[in-house]
This record gives sequence, structure tokens and C-alpha cells, in this order.
Amino acid sequence: MAADAARILRRLGPGGVVAALGLAAILLAVVAPGVLAPGDPLAIAPTEAFSPPSWAHPFGTDESGRDLFTRVVHGAAASAGIGLAATGIGIGAGLVLGFAGALGPRWLDAAIARVVEVLFALPTLVMALLLVAVIGPGTQASVIAIGAATAPGYARILRARVRGVVRSDYVAYARHEGVGPVAVFARHIAPNTLWPLVATATLGVGQAIVWVSALSFLGLGALPPSPEWGAMLNAGRVYIGTAWWMTVLPGLAIVATATVLTVLGRRASGAGSAGS
Amino acid sequence: MPDSSADPLPARLARGLPAWLRWLLGRIGSALLVIWVVATAVFFALRASGDPLEAILGGPGSQAGPEAVAQARAEYGLDHPLVVQYLAQLWRVATFQLGDSYARRQPVAELIGAQLPGTLLLAVLALLLAWALAVAGSTIAATAGAGSGWRGRAGRAAVGVLRGLELVATVMPQFWLGAVLILVFASSLQILPATSSGAGPAGLVLPVVTLAIPIAGFLAQVSRDALLEADASPFAVTARSRGASEPRVLLHHTLRHASLPALSLSGWAFGHLLSGAVVVEALFARPGLGRLLLDAAMSRDVPLVIGAVVVVALLYVVVVTVVDAVELVVDPRLRTPRAPHAMRTPELAVGS
Amino acid sequence: MLRRALPLLALSASVALIATACSPAGQEAAEPATGGTLVYATGDAEPTCLDPHVGGNYPQALISSQYLEPLVGRTADGEITPWLAEDWEVSEDGLTWDLTLREDVTFTDGTPFDAEAVKVNIEHLQDPETASSTGYLAVSKVAEVEVVDETHARFHLSEPDSALLESLSMPWTAIQSPAGIERGMEENCAAPIGTGPFIVEEWVPQQQITLVRNDDYASPGPQGEHEGPAYLDEIVWRFIPDAATRQAALASGEVHVIDNPQPDAIVSAEQGDEIEHIDAPRPGSVNRIELNAGQTPFDDARVREAFIRAADPNPGIESLYLGTVTRSYSPLGSTEPMGVSDESLFGTDPDAANALLDEAGWTERDADGTRMKDGQRLTVRFPVSTNQSVAAEQSLFEQIQANTAAVGFDVQLSPVDLSTWYGALGANEYEAVSAPYTRVGPEVLRVLYHSDGIVPAPSGYFANHAQLSDPELDALLDQASATHDEAARAELYAQAQQRILESFTILPLYDQQNHFLTRGVTGVTTLGTVATPTFVDARLVG
Repeated sequence: MAADAARILRRLGPGGVVAALGLAAILLAVVAPGVLAPGDPLAIAPTEAFSPPSWAHPFGTDESGRDLFTRVVHGAAASAGIGLAATGIGIGAGLVLGFAGALGPRWLDAAIARVVEVLFALPTLVMALLLVAVIGPGTQASVIAIGAATAPGYARILRARVRGVVRSDYVAYARHEGVGPVAVFARHIAPNTLWPLVATATLGVGQAIVWVSALSFLGLGALPPSPEWGAMLNAGRVYIGTAWWMTVLPGLAIVATATVLTVLGRRASGAGSAGS
Repeated sequence: MPDSSADPLPARLARGLPAWLRWLLGRIGSALLVIWVVATAVFFALRASGDPLEAILGGPGSQAGPEAVAQARAEYGLDHPLVVQYLAQLWRVATFQLGDSYARRQPVAELIGAQLPGTLLLAVLALLLAWALAVAGSTIAATAGAGSGWRGRAGRAAVGVLRGLELVATVMPQFWLGAVLILVFASSLQILPATSSGAGPAGLVLPVVTLAIPIAGFLAQVSRDALLEADASPFAVTARSRGASEPRVLLHHTLRHASLPALSLSGWAFGHLLSGAVVVEALFARPGLGRLLLDAAMSRDVPLVIGAVVVVALLYVVVVTVVDAVELVVDPRLRTPRAPHAMRTPELAVGS
Repeated sequence: MLRRALPLLALSASVALIATACSPAGQEAAEPATGGTLVYATGDAEPTCLDPHVGGNYPQALISSQYLEPLVGRTADGEITPWLAEDWEVSEDGLTWDLTLREDVTFTDGTPFDAEAVKVNIEHLQDPETASSTGYLAVSKVAEVEVVDETHARFHLSEPDSALLESLSMPWTAIQSPAGIERGMEENCAAPIGTGPFIVEEWVPQQQITLVRNDDYASPGPQGEHEGPAYLDEIVWRFIPDAATRQAALASGEVHVIDNPQPDAIVSAEQGDEIEHIDAPRPGSVNRIELNAGQTPFDDARVREAFIRAADPNPGIESLYLGTVTRSYSPLGSTEPMGVSDESLFGTDPDAANALLDEAGWTERDADGTRMKDGQRLTVRFPVSTNQSVAAEQSLFEQIQANTAAVGFDVQLSPVDLSTWYGALGANEYEAVSAPYTRVGPEVLRVLYHSDGIVPAPSGYFANHAQLSDPELDALLDQASATHDEAARAELYAQAQQRILESFTILPLYDQQNHFLTRGVTGVTTLGTVATPTFVDARLVG
């Protein structure tokens, strides 16, 4: 047990450990925000508006006197939730496309490869704007838009992985042994492709959070008074000259979360071990 | 030996053409495919999301009179069967009849044509800056860590800082970065303008920097990996053993190999830049394709959105084509048909 | 060699220093220069048509005031003054108005300004193809314009209209060249032709509109301080919807004048000396929240009153607007001499609100604490137009949302663009809305609160968002419109306002804010009509 723990710690490295602690804090903020910030994120107090950071208000207050630290903590659920949902959609679509392409007939693979290539020609935000133009703005639309925009990326990664696994020795051996295709899938292909997906997904959630907050910044995402980080950043930017904390601190939350997720995702996928 | 006469006609024809022509036709095919998919997707999405007439006329509050409604109905053939409408739409897109923007009552092609140069200027400058930063950063990282003693340790610490900066650059939201830059350089120090249009150098600095930094982060990581790999490769080792100095080794051998991944990522980078342009143009009040697309999306101006998206997709295909051509020139290894295909997108970026 | 040059260098440096020190220090206050280009950055939406006859909103008025002029003007105190029309007379029965027009005025395309031009303009406003909203309503009682001779026009009305001159003083009824109108809507939207101090030269969509000086300008209005053409060569009208960027552009000297500044920018402008502040509240209605009395839940007066008792906007107004705004309790703006205010009706009392809601039958509660009745939630849809509300106002609405949530309302704010906002209003998909309406004089009460206002104009827009349909109020407003006796008019409008306030269909907030910040330019004033800026006397400084 101790040896396992030591191995994990060594693999994580000092940066990874910090990131893991950060992730723990973020997860705590998502599931039990009241532990970190017991106040009400929607409670207004106009007389205390625009207070700079202090002991009473570690992150200061916003234009309606709401405590910014409380809002950032409670906003973790909104932002991370939206990021997770978008990633879920992206991975779901990517799974379907990736598996269908790698395991299905040749013509399907070629067709899917072409479609994925085409979707790559549309940058994420451009595709999101296209979807918003048709569906209309809102949280739902931004989740679908970012999910659809990131699906080609996941599809490509999955297809490559699945093909690699399908061509591997142990699958060939299992087939040779007469194991049925469903069992081969369940015992060999699925575990070897889905576990590494966790690492990619971790990275993906971080990036999705940034994209979703970009849509909120453009006015196409979460609605007031939701404490979603991107929306808070958008609202705070108006007062950036006089109340810098309203913009800088939620932005730091986004950067910190995305960084933590990226570091952990890299470590988990092994890319981090070669000195990067 | 397989009997080639049993192959289908197109395959036989294809093999008869010279390699470069086949490649070019492939690229054109990609472009056509892109346009077709976009047109189809928008057509069905439009029909699926409610009354297409409302969206065509510019949203629910368009206050369009009965004449405009009748005209739109006739132009879009909304009384005809779905298949006919679909084919008509494809024909319109194929002949670049992108229609008129209903919010602005001007031809879509004109609007896009007017705004495109500004965005392209930003994108090209940002890409150049990103390359420069990436190559500089990876070169420093690769060479600073060498040596022993306090110089070596300081160098390695600097490398660690650089790696951290790269990481943060890749996850930093561009609108936040831009807002902070405006706060520092425009509002507080007042040495750079907050808004700009056109090609004035002072006004380009902040937007270009904001656009370039996330791309520079990705490119730097990729360049550094390639540089380290090239540094350890046989020809570099041989060159050193023959007494060549470090700078010489760098310039003559490794740098060229290190810049290859950055080059092949340029297609993805360009896409990312166009995404970024939407945010940056909104933030710095610059006119451009990004801002046009944003306004069009917000006012549900579908002809304009379709036009802008088609243009963006085509640009991407053009850039990828150019990059492929340049790659073939720069790296002869890629000219053989079974050559390893260089990475087109950074391994760990799921979107652009 | 350097050593030999050094003394010479030192000598020339000292000479230069002394020379600059001795130069006339009176240049501290730099002289305003003639000529140059003024850059104006607006935060309002970019108009889709530069002709204010089409549609008719404030962004159009802002720019059209530079190149179009109305028949009459209005001072800040509400007095009507001559402009393109020199004199006027009304008949006994109020159905005929004779206007004497100014002579020797031509439009910038050479067409003479005469009674025929006036006739063409009024017909243009009334033509359904023009799709006019504001202008159409303004001249809705004009049946026909008769050309008596070149300088005399006779207005025949279908009903007496005591507010006709006020209507004709607005930018949305300004006079354009008939030849210009004849070119067709597309061309006329791109560059209307008028008599104003500037001419539209070019419109680059999304970027800017360039106006050049009209060198033959000869028709100054009541605000003009000098005769003859403007001092500026050119005005560049830019669109910067983002408030922070707009402010930064002003601070860095890229633009000279901005509108819609944030309250903190106004405060620091007042405290410093580089940036000047012009405060010019728009006439007509106040900024208010209107409750849709035409459908559930606000068709019940008790629910309306409960909302008003719970809203408590005052602390928010104080903290968000930093003292630049005063709370209003009147349906009319503070610049209207006939305004009537009643603070007693708008006290905050959450207990009373709760009691009223219980009485109205909204006694069940759902999981979030929102009240329910017969399975329906107490939902208030509140679309907010981001083009027309500054960030501070949107935050104020958020605070009202929080305050009313405490007694069980579920206010759903949706910030949307202008087009979607119009759509939601047109489809009746709102329970509360804040729709600014600029209109000269107390006649605005008739536009906003008469039951006729529920009927849409040809463009689809209707103004009575409270959907107030009160026959007694209608009668008061009709009577006031027909009376020419100022005292009687004032009394009737006072009664009308009291009825409006007591109906609890509106929650008055404050005057329609209209602030401008200027830097590096003097001589900028606002027209007395709808408080749009005029640059006819403006000169660049420094």
C-alpha cells in the first residue's frame, strides 16, 4: 500500500501534488460550497458595494454588495458543471464517432474521418456562434455548442486509440482463441481505451470551462444572478478601473481551475513524465 | 499480383495523374466537402429550430412588413417541397450568392469582404508573434538548462518558470488577458490605446499580443519537445563531436527540426486565432470578421452567419493547404507516400 | 573631438532651455482651434437606418440631430421657439394650424425648403411603407398638409392636438429634402439630406459614420451661439458598445466625446479637470419598470402593489449610481414643468407585500420559496435590452430581483439584444419591462398610458407596455390633448398622473439618464428638445 502511494506521489511530482490538492478544493467547492463559504451568494447588501478585499470579505464585494469569495466558491458548481456537461456531450459524440469508425466497416470509417476533418475547419467559438444563431443564447445553448465543437477532437483521439488497441497483440490473440467480438470489446478494447480517456477528459473539462466563460463574456451564456465565473467576469469588467478585484479574481479562479485540470490530465496521460 | 484492370475507373484515373495534382484535387475536394456540410447543417438546423422565416428576416423583433415577408418566402421558396429548397440552398451557396443581411440590408459578400482584411492582419501578425515567442522560449529552455554550478541551477529554475508560464498561457481566457492588458497599458499607464481600427502600429500591439499568447503557449511546448529530440539525435551529436559550437549546432541543425511541429500546427493555430478574433475584436472595439460574426449571431442574422462561417472554413482549408505545401518543401522526408504524417493539432487540445 | 564639442553642446542646451522657459506662458489655457475632426463614441446601438423617420429611436436621434433640423425648437424650460418655421397660428377650433416658414433655406442637395417639402415629409411619416414608429405617432392627428404658398403651410387636423408643436420639435419629425426621400429607402437610409450643420459623407457599417461640415449652413436653432457654419471640419461617429473600452478610449484621447458613461466615470470626471461632464436628462417619461396589467399575475392590482412594496430600489440606486441620480416618484421626467410626484405611494413594506399576496390567493410555495396559485408559479419575465440599459441599471434590476424573491416572486431577467427584445414585447412574453420613451412634453402620457397605445403602429411597435386600459384616464388624456389653456392642461395632466401612479402599474425609478463626457473640446451643448448633443459651436482644444 505504502509502495503504491509512493509510486503515485513520485509520478505526480511536486507540481502534480499541488494540482491534486487544488482539485480537491475545487471538488469540495462544487459539491459542498457551504463548507468553504457559508454565506449566501445571492444576498445583496447595497451599503457594502465595491468594498476592496479585506478580512471580512477576502475577495471584496461586487456592485450589489455581494461577497465575491462566496460567489466564486458557489460559482464553481455552475462553471465546472457547465464545463462538465459540455465535455460529456463532446465525449459522448466522440465515443460514438470514434468507436463506429474504428470498429465498423471501412466506408463508415472513411466517411467519419472526412466529417471530422470538416468539423475541424470550424474553430470552436465560430461553431458555437453558429449554433447560438440558430438556437438562441443561454446556458443550454452554450453547453450544446461547446460540446459539439469539441466532439471532433475527442472522436479523433478515440479513433486512433481504438485502432491501436484493435491491432494489438492481445486482441489478436483473444480473437485467435475464439473469444466472441462482444467479449473482446468488453474485456480488452473498452478498458484500454476508456481509462486513458479520463486523462483527456480532465484536460477537456478545463478547456471547456474556459470556452464556456468566453461565451458568457460575449453575453451568450449564463444569466444573472448566476455566479458563473465568466458572467461575473463580464459584469466586473465594466468597473475594472475602480474595482479591479471584480474582474481579476474570478479570472484567476478560471485560470487556476483550468491549470489544475491540465496538469493532472497531463500527468495522468503520461505526457508529463518526460520532463515537461 | 493483383489485377489492376479490376479496379474501378476513378481509382485508375487517379493513379494516372501526377502526385501534386492528385494532392491539389484532394484539397479542393476537402473545401467543397466543408461547404456542403456547413450548408446542410445550417439548412436543417434552421428548419428544426422553428419558423425559418422568422430567423431569415432577422429575429423575432425584425418588424418586417408584409412585403418583406412575401419577398423572403418567394426567394427562399418556402412553399416548395423540402428537397427543392435544399437543392436551391446548395446552389445559392455554391455560386456564392450569399444573399443580403436582413439586419443591415446589405449584401453579405460585401460586408464580409470589407471586414476580412482587418481580421487577417491581426491573425497573421499574431501567428508570427506566437512563432517568434515559441521558438525563442523553447531555445532558451533547451540551452539554459545545460551546465553545472549556479548558472546551471539558475538556468533550470528559469526553465521551470518558463514551463509554468507556457502552461498558464494555454489555459488563460483571452478576454481576461485582454481586459487586464487594457487596464494596465491603456487606463493606468496610458501608453497604448484601448481601441483601434486599421493598421496603426500602436493600436495593433495589445490585440495582437492578446491573440498570440495562448497559441505561443501550445507552440512553445511542442517546439521544446521537438528541439530536445533533435538535440539528442545522431546528427547533432556527430556535429558536436566534430567540434561545432553550440550556437552553430543550434542554427544549422536542430532549429530547423524544432520548427517543423510549429509549422504543421499552424492550421490549428489559425483556427484558434479566428476564435480568438471574435473575443479580441469585441474587447478592443475593432471592426473585423469576428465582430461581424458575433453581431450576426446575436441578432440571429442567418444569411450573414452562414456567409461568415463558410468563409472561415474556406480560410482554414486554404491555410492547411499552404502549410502542407510548405512542409513538403521544408522536409523532404514527407514527400514519400508512406511518410509519417506530422501532427495537425496539438495532442492535448480538444478544440480550436 | 567629443571633448571639444561638449562645451558647445552644453551652451546650446542651456540656450534652448532658457528659450522655452521664456516663451509666452499664457499658452496654459490652449486656444480653441477652428477646424479639425471631432471623434464621438456612442455606446448606443448602431442605427439600421440613418433616416429617423424610419422606426424612430434614440440612437437615430443622436446622429440625425447633426444633419437634420425640425420645424420648431424648444428651450430647456419647455418653451417652443422658431427654427425652420418662423411663426405659427392656431384656429379657434384647434383643427387648423398655419405655419410660416423660414425663407432662403435650402437643403444640402440644392432643393429649396418650402411648404411642399413640409407636406412631403409629413406624408413620408404617415406612409406605412416607411415603417415609422415614433414619428408616426407624433403626427397621428394630422389629416393633411395644405401648401398655401411657398412659405406658408397649413396643417389640417382630424382632432385638436395641443401638443402638435412639441411633436414637430422632435428629431423624429425633422425635415428632409423631398428629392432625398424620392431616391428610395435604401439610399435615404444610407445618407439622408437635410439642412443641418453637417452632412453625411460615408457610413462604414459597424465602424463609423463620417460627417463633414455644411459650409452653406444658415439656419441655427435656439441652441446656436453663432451664425454661419460650424467650426469643425468633420465629425467621426464611432460605435463602441463596451463601456469599459469606451471609457478607456476617452481617457487615452482617442475620442473627444462619449455618451452612456458609467457612474464612477462621472464622479471622477467631476472631481478631476481633464474630463468635462454634461448632464442632460431626456424629457418625457422617467425610467420606470412597467408591470404588464394585461395578463397574469399582474392583472390583479394587489399583486402589482405587492411587487412595488417589495422592490426597494433606493439602497441600490444610492450605491450603484454613486449619487449621480435622484429617485423619482413621478411618471414624468424632472424637466417637465407639469410633472406630479407622489412618494407616499411607493414606500417599501415587505410585510404588506406578503399580506397582499396572501390575500390575492398566492399562498402555496414551491421548493425554491416561490409562491404558487393553482399550480402556477409567480413568475415575472423581465427582458432587459442590453443596448438601452447601462450596467448599473442591470445590477439594479438584479437587486430588485433579490428583494422581490424574498416575498415569493420569481423574477427571470434575460439580457437580450434589441431585436429579440422588441420581439418579446410584440409577442406579449413579458410581465415586467423597462422601456425608455423619449417624447417632448406631457403628451407622452397619452402615448404611454392611453388604451390606444396597446394598438401597434405599422412597424409592429406599441408603447403602452403596462397595457393600462382605464376609461377615466383615457378621458382625462383626451381632454388634455384638446385643451389649449395651459392652466387647464396642467390640471388635467396632474389628475392623469395621479391615476397612473395609483394604478401601481409603474415603478418610477429616475430620470432618463443622459450624460456626456468630453475631453479636449469646448462648446458642446445639448438641444432642448430631446437632449441630443449639438456640435455646431464645438471647437477642439489643445
